[in-house]
Amino acid sequence: MSVGHVARLLEEAGIATVIVAVEAFRARLESMAVPRLLVTPHPMGRPLGPPGDHARHREVLRAALELLERGERSGTVVG
Amino acid sequence: MTTDNSESESFEAFKNSFSYGSRTDLNFKFLKHLPAEDAARFFQDLLWKLGKTLDDADATPLIDHVREWQSRGYAHFTGFTYDDGPFTPLARPLSQSRLTLLTSTGHFVAGHDPEPFGVKEMTQEEAIARIGDFLKAAPDLSPIPFNTPPDQLRVRHGGYDIRGVQADPAVALPLAPLRELQQDGTIGSLTDTAYSFVGATAQTRLLTQSGPAWVDMLRPQEVDAALLVPV
Repeated sequence: MSVGHVARLLEEAGIATVIVAVEAFRARLESMAVPRLLVTPHPMGRPLGPPGDHARHREVLRAALELLERGERSGTVVG
Repeated sequence: MTTDNSESESFEAFKNSFSYGSRTDLNFKFLKHLPAEDAARFFQDLLWKLGKTLDDADATPLIDHVREWQSRGYAHFTGFTYDDGPFTPLARPLSQSRLTLLTSTGHFVAGHDPEPFGVKEMTQEEAIARIGDFLKAAPDLSPIPFNTPPDQLRVRHGGYDIRGVQADPAVALPLAPLRELQQDGTIGSLTDTAYSFVGATAQTRLLTQSGPAWVDMLRPQEVDAALLVPV
C-alpha cells in the first residue's frame, strides 16, 4: 500500500511511475488504481528474481521500463 | 495412549504463530489470513513436494508452492480502494529521461542509520518485535547513492524476510543493474541517489505528510520517471 500511495503522489506531481511487485501484492495495488504495474512470479521480498540471477534482474527491469515508455495505463506479468 | 487436550495447541494457533507469534517467519505470515483447511492444504502439499525434492533435488516446485500460497494469502487483501488515479505519460523517450529508484525495502547506507524511535543499531529482530510501532509512525526516507558499494548497504524491515536482499540487494534495490542500463544508453540519466524507506508505516501520515515532502524534494531534481519497488 505504501508504494501505491507514493506512486499516486508522484503521478500527480508529473512524474511517471512504474511499480515492480510480486503477485501477492497485485490485489492491493490494482485496487489503488496505480498507473503501471509489472507483476513478477517471484516469492515476496525478491520481486526482481532470485539472488545472483543478474540476467533475470535485467530482464525484469527492461520489462518495467517498456511499460513506462508505452504511454498508456498498463499492467502486465513477466513469466 | 493418553493425550492432554487441554494443553495441546490448536491448529489455528499454530498457523497464526508464524505471523508475529512464537514461530515468526515473515515468508509465511500469510498463513494467518488463510482458513484452517487451506493452511492445512498448504502444509500437506509442501511436505509432498518436499518428498519429491528428496529424490530429484529440484527446489523449483517448493519455491513455486510458496509463491502461489503467498499470493493466495493476500488475494483478498485490499486496504485503500480508488476508482481512478492520476496518470502522467513519459514526456520523452527513456533514453533521454531522468529516472529515480524508490523502494520500500528499508535500506540505508552504513553510517546513516535513520535510527527509528531513537534506537541506535536496531536489529532486524527488534524491528520485527516493534512492527506495531512502525505501523503508527511516519516513515524516514534514506537517500542511497547509486554507486554505493554493496558492503556499505544496510537493511532492516520488520515486515519481510530480508535474507534475499542481504544475499543480493538487486533482488529489490537494483542499483547496479540500473547503472548498467544508464551506461548502455537505455536510460538517459539517473538521479544521484536512489531512495528507500520502511514500507510498514503509518499510511495516513505517508499520504498526507511524508509523501508530499518527498515529492517536493524530488521536484528540483527534474525527475521524469520513478521505478518503485514494494516488498
